Amino acid sequence: MEKGTLIEELRSLIIKSLKLEGIMPADIDPAAPLFGSGLGLDSIDALELVVGLEKTYGIRIPDEDVGKEAFASVDALADYILKNIK
Amino acid sequence: MSVPVALVTGGTKGIGKEIARSFSKKGMRVYVNFSSDRDAAAAARQELPAETVQADVSDQEQVSAMIDAIVQKEGRLDILVNNAGIIRDGLLMLMPAKNWHRVMEVNLNSVFFCSKAALRPMVGNRWGRIINIISPSALMGRAGQTNYAAAKGGVLSLTRSLAREVARYNITVNAVSPGVIETELTRDMGEKIRREFISMIPAGRFGTPEEVARAVSFLASDEAGYITGEYLSVDGGLT
Repeated sequence: MEKGTLIEELRSLIIKSLKLEGIMPADIDPAAPLFGSGLGLDSIDALELVVGLEKTYGIRIPDEDVGKEAFASVDALADYILKNIK
Repeated sequence: MSVPVALVTGGTKGIGKEIARSFSKKGMRVYVNFSSDRDAAAAARQELPAETVQADVSDQEQVSAMIDAIVQKEGRLDILVNNAGIIRDGLLMLMPAKNWHRVMEVNLNSVFFCSKAALRPMVGNRWGRIINIISPSALMGRAGQTNYAAAKGGVLSLTRSLAREVARYNITVNAVSPGVIETELTRDMGEKIRREFISMIPAGRFGTPEEVARAVSFLASDEAGYITGEYLSVDGGLT
């Protein structure tokens, strides 16, 4: 999968699975941190995102040590998925 | 909603078995976990009816494999009852460290492992029920049970905190504290000790596994959807 396509998918998946209202995919800066600022997501939102990503891409985010790396930004998340996708 | 899928740890005997039976009666798909007693598991499989799954709940890998297998097969896991437990009673000053650690592993670590694995399908479905079986020892203390009381007290604190983490996903986390209940253990305790126990219970009798199961069943139902981070004592007024 091409990274650009994946980033587009991820932007939509984040909006859909976290039910973010009034935010368009293009509003999510791929380089910006996913949690704590910007989108105003909190760590509890991450639980649903983890489950959604695991289901969609067949990857495994077993704990927060991995999660911190993967959720640094949409860009980092795309890298993580490409590296671990089955 | 499709048929709910429930897992009861330590569910082939005593209180756990009765909880499994009450779920089964409600038409749920029921899995009961056991650690080693294959005869009891075979009996429970027939009698309840329920599927039986072997795993040492104090071992994270075995727990993950058990819960993954259920989710693979059923596509969901809606209700988890953390019931498995052991006692290794003894006075603290003379307690071997291994009795401390084993009680922590089976009674407390298991709740962490099972809840961690069960939460993924629950978050995915935006519905779930976790019910942890605790004990009067956690609420009022009991000489000879410092290890068990500490573990169960830990489970109660975990219950309250986890409830706050997952409430947004329609997942409730509660505890049930059975008092002295008629089981194999209490049947064999001898008339003198029995009478001593009964004298401490305002209701003047032991509880039944069915009475505990009814409380668990309520907390597992849709009716209890706004109750979370709580404990419910089923102990005839003991605590």
